[in-house]
Amino acid sequence: MTAIAAERYTGASIKRSEDPRILTGTGRYVDDIKLPGMLHAAFVRSPLPHARVISVDASAARALPGVVAVLTGADLEAMTVPGPDPLLSLMGWKGPSPEFTLLATDKVRLVGDPVAIVVAESRYLAEDGCELVEVEYDDLPPVVTAAFALDPDSPPLFANLGDNVARPHSRTEFGDVAGTFADADRTYDFHIDVHRHQNVPMEGRACIASFDADAGVMTVYAATQSVHLSRAVFAMRLGVEPGQVRVLAGDIGGSFGLKIGASREELAVGAASRHLGRPVKWVEDRGENLTVSGQAREESFDVRAAVSNDGDLLGLDVAMVVDTGSYPGMGVTVPDIMQGMLPGPYKLAAMGFESTAAITNKAPYVAYRGPWASETFVRERVLDLIARELGLDPVEIRLRNFAPRTDPPAMMITGRPLVGVTSKESLERIAQLVDFPAFRRRQAQALEQGRYLGIGVATFIEAAPGPRSPGGPSGPMGLESMRLRLGEDGFVVLFTGQMPHGQSHQTTLAQIAADEFGVPFDQVRVVVGDTDVVPFGLTGGSRSATMTGGVALHGARQLKAKVLDFAAHLMEASAQDLLITDGNVWVRGDPASAIAVSEIAARAASGQFGAEVDANLEVQATFDGGEGGWSGGTHCAIVEVDAETGLVKVERYVAAEDCGTLINPAVVEGQIRGGVAQGIGAVLLERSAYGEDGVFQSATFMDYLMPTTCDVPRIEIEHLETVPLDADVNFRGVGEGGMIVAPPTVVNAIEDALSPFGVRIYEQHLPPARILELMAAFSGRGARAGDGEGV
Amino acid sequence: MPDITMRVNGATRTASPEARKTLADFLRDDLDLTGTHVGCEHGVCGACTVIVDARAVRSCLMLAVQAAGSEVTTIEGLAPDGGLGTLQQAMWDSHSFQCGFCTPGMVMQATAFLADHPDAGEQEIREALSGNICRCTGYQSIVDGVLLAAERNRER
Amino acid sequence: MKLPPFDYEAPQTVSEAVELLAEHGDEASVLAGGQSLIPLLALRLARPAVLIDINGLDELSGVSSDDGWLTIGAMTREYVAEESERVAEAVPLLAAALPFIGHEAIRSRGTVGGSLAHADPAGELPAVARALDAEFVVRGPSGTRVIPAEEWFEGFLTTSRQPDELLEQVRFPTAGPGTGVSFQEVARRHGDFAIVGLAASMTLSDGVIGEARLALAGFSDVPVRATAAEALLAGERPSTGLFDEAARLVTDDADPPADLQGSSEYRKTVAAALVRRGLRAAAENALRGNH
Repeated sequence: MTAIAAERYTGASIKRSEDPRILTGTGRYVDDIKLPGMLHAAFVRSPLPHARVISVDASAARALPGVVAVLTGADLEAMTVPGPDPLLSLMGWKGPSPEFTLLATDKVRLVGDPVAIVVAESRYLAEDGCELVEVEYDDLPPVVTAAFALDPDSPPLFANLGDNVARPHSRTEFGDVAGTFADADRTYDFHIDVHRHQNVPMEGRACIASFDADAGVMTVYAATQSVHLSRAVFAMRLGVEPGQVRVLAGDIGGSFGLKIGASREELAVGAASRHLGRPVKWVEDRGENLTVSGQAREESFDVRAAVSNDGDLLGLDVAMVVDTGSYPGMGVTVPDIMQGMLPGPYKLAAMGFESTAAITNKAPYVAYRGPWASETFVRERVLDLIARELGLDPVEIRLRNFAPRTDPPAMMITGRPLVGVTSKESLERIAQLVDFPAFRRRQAQALEQGRYLGIGVATFIEAAPGPRSPGGPSGPMGLESMRLRLGEDGFVVLFTGQMPHGQSHQTTLAQIAADEFGVPFDQVRVVVGDTDVVPFGLTGGSRSATMTGGVALHGARQLKAKVLDFAAHLMEASAQDLLITDGNVWVRGDPASAIAVSEIAARAASGQFGAEVDANLEVQATFDGGEGGWSGGTHCAIVEVDAETGLVKVERYVAAEDCGTLINPAVVEGQIRGGVAQGIGAVLLERSAYGEDGVFQSATFMDYLMPTTCDVPRIEIEHLETVPLDADVNFRGVGEGGMIVAPPTVVNAIEDALSPFGVRIYEQHLPPARILELMAAFSGRGARAGDGEGV
Repeated sequence: MPDITMRVNGATRTASPEARKTLADFLRDDLDLTGTHVGCEHGVCGACTVIVDARAVRSCLMLAVQAAGSEVTTIEGLAPDGGLGTLQQAMWDSHSFQCGFCTPGMVMQATAFLADHPDAGEQEIREALSGNICRCTGYQSIVDGVLLAAERNRER
Repeated sequence: MKLPPFDYEAPQTVSEAVELLAEHGDEASVLAGGQSLIPLLALRLARPAVLIDINGLDELSGVSSDDGWLTIGAMTREYVAEESERVAEAVPLLAAALPFIGHEAIRSRGTVGGSLAHADPAGELPAVARALDAEFVVRGPSGTRVIPAEEWFEGFLTTSRQPDELLEQVRFPTAGPGTGVSFQEVARRHGDFAIVGLAASMTLSDGVIGEARLALAGFSDVPVRATAAEALLAGERPSTGLFDEAARLVTDDADPPADLQGSSEYRKTVAAALVRRGLRAAAENALRGNH
């Protein structure tokens, strides 16, 4: 069975079924939900980054009218099952396991660490109550940098660890690192820093926990990327079977990796609800979201590059330190992904990679859209730095170093096959879309007028989901499930564990199923967000286009076969003579035979068939990703730097991307643009800032600066013709690429703009003051444009 | 607190909110109009934008009692009887949004702006919406939706 | 971030408001536009026992001119002042600065008086008031007094308004013939507070600068009047060299604040650039006769 006859929906920018409710304010986010008897929670939070908790006196708070309960860290440990971080447990982490409590008990480890939960009739009263809780602290010296954390003299945040190492140092080598470096014409050493910044979805973390004592069931209304993962974490911590927890999710206001599992506060809310026998709602405010929900990307890299005189990047040797903050979560696993991805689409003869993760008195490290993104930043920066040293063009050095697309595919030095990678085509496409020679002329003219324009490119690949093993997705992430049913009303219903929070799955999956099955788009319904009803799933890792798109396609095909087998009975025809198009089943060559799918469905549901006829029109489908494959592309930015103020304007931004077959171009483009906006934000605006004293300095939107309409230009997107790898499923993910490649693209352009000053950039955050500092720092020893640099 | 009366989406509403309750919370909690979203509570993100007496305002920076005697329009009041207004339709056609959390504020701000500046070009629209933060879209699709609505308004 | 509890008063006349202020003194905060105060309340950084909402005082709104002065009622919304042709004609520097205040929704509620009473040194209106020697008319229990801008701004978020006084009006001198103005600021994003801002006004007659007024936002804990630069400019012909020298005078001995947005040195660099750009723009506007 090959491709369906009329691909009406797949490939078209079908309007989203989500939008009528989104545009009319009738979406249902957690904070929109009101339950009878519902109470509201707020948290007493530490003003200190590191301190012992001597005492917590909640008597005044409890006496406040409207306050129903105040629970301390100790109270919550007593009413839940103590244990390590549930998410780390579920991920199978075998490394250092810091003591974990829902709220702080004997110690606080970051500004904002929750110390008590106040439950009251309203959030207003809960916050009033929080102010009345008296906590006595004994200050401890803060550990604010990874460097200090790794110093054995630093005070350990976790007594059971004895030091501040979240992940001990480890090193892996691929190929002959020593030999490659010894034989290379040149070696370079760089130190590159990526700064702390964070997800900042417009809706923060939120949940309502509602415990039904009679049924013994905890219902959680969650904002989460996976209802099943949330359920597992709640069940683990509350000490119940997963079947005793039901997690429901409706509309979610973004996440970008933040809302995975359940946070300490959400678990505290669950315990409080069970204790009180009433629903409890907690919606974090922006201060909480910025201060404690989690941060990412604070990574530093010592990089050695082995290079030939002609610009071949022969080897890389990278030592990474990641600052995982105070309750280290997935920060401890990020080095593994980075190591695997670091070579990108380039030929490397050898690579060394070592890493350490440090615990500090800062917000916990969480996944943020492309958590491994720094590997692309480091690599694409290094290529430009080498190009500048050798007088090579940034386009030229990349073309020179791309691994050619061969069959069998070239292998990344770290083991994954570069099957179907179109990096070269994407860079060539950029060179067609952006007239580099014309830009260089304009740049020179501008320079004469004292204006600094620059151009930068960067190339990336993204495992979305990536090719088959080795290194490919495995375990629960390696298999996607879906239940598909032809409902009594004639609707094709898809039950998926995907949990869209902006990804438009209710539209894109319906497009695929409608095409494959043969009903109009409006006759497909996508059901998400109920652990009682949908199979396991997680929206993340840019895998849903392939994995869920694929299971929708194959599942719809299987459901169709089942429906046709049933219809064959009704229509007294052979199933292989039946077609479904436009919502009708008909005998090939006999249009008058058409019966509506809804009619077929109604008949199946009528219960009039005996055991010999399978009238249960439902299938359980799974899909392992097929041939998988990479997404990737090249981005290009043109910037202007105001040399008097350091302000940077992104004048033009072009992306040439390959994400396989597009399901819905508008959705794809939206994902790319959103990611690029976050990348621009990271470079020019966003920083999660801590003082030397460990006090958090970016707790409002006046300090943590988000990109706005005036900061993000029109982003031109060119979709490349892909290399199909699979007979049916060539959709590939695109969710994270924009955020991964935009930062090096913009930084490369800024360095190019500042090349008259000889500036070299080894960092990602470039606010105006920093730009002026760099200009001043390098001016003395800088080379001028046209000084043999060739860039 | 004594009763206050205001007109919300064309209907007269009377209530007696605590003085410290913001208009945003009053709309959401007391009037069950949860379309207006709360994104920051300090007046920067714009998600809470509603129209009060023909002006776009940040409802998190008004006390509910300050809206006594005023005409308030929220996202729920824009569309005629469950349909979609021109701007909403244009934004649907333009794939303007993703997660939808910034949407009500964005739509209300754009509505107020277009009412006063029906012929605005892209740069003006971008400046007018620069106080509304969206994390998902990179803004281009939103700007396109507003431009399309303006064009359709002119064609009518 | 919910507001803390407070007693709420909504006086219907200025006298009532002043009585309340006299009664509660510094236990009370005045709620005008709320665009600065309500965030402080939400963050629980401000804890007034009493909030006196003066939005009912219609008599405090309005723009009128007389005798070389433009009088703006303290409760005049910023968007009203922005749209006012009278303001544009009489006090072009104010008209130039108003669009820089936040975003439209902020200006829907924010008031001219509220912004000046809040006295954020990075604010646009304080710099304009200081540049133009505006006058502040306050009413207290014992009557009305007029405070010149030089005495109004006392420190960070602090004015010489006494706790029992209410700002009623702000008066700006009307711009004379040959005036050209410029308001410039460097901010991280469109609509943000100025890192440094410059309110500049100059009169040109036969190509010679008569009087120049310069005030900086974000350069100290109050708006800074650049009197040395003004003295340099008076009587001279506009030129790049002159403006460079003015920029040096403004920044050489300055010690502006450092914060997340930039170091003290950075602010000086930016201020110098703004002075050069602002003076050039003001001179061009004066020459063109279009303010």
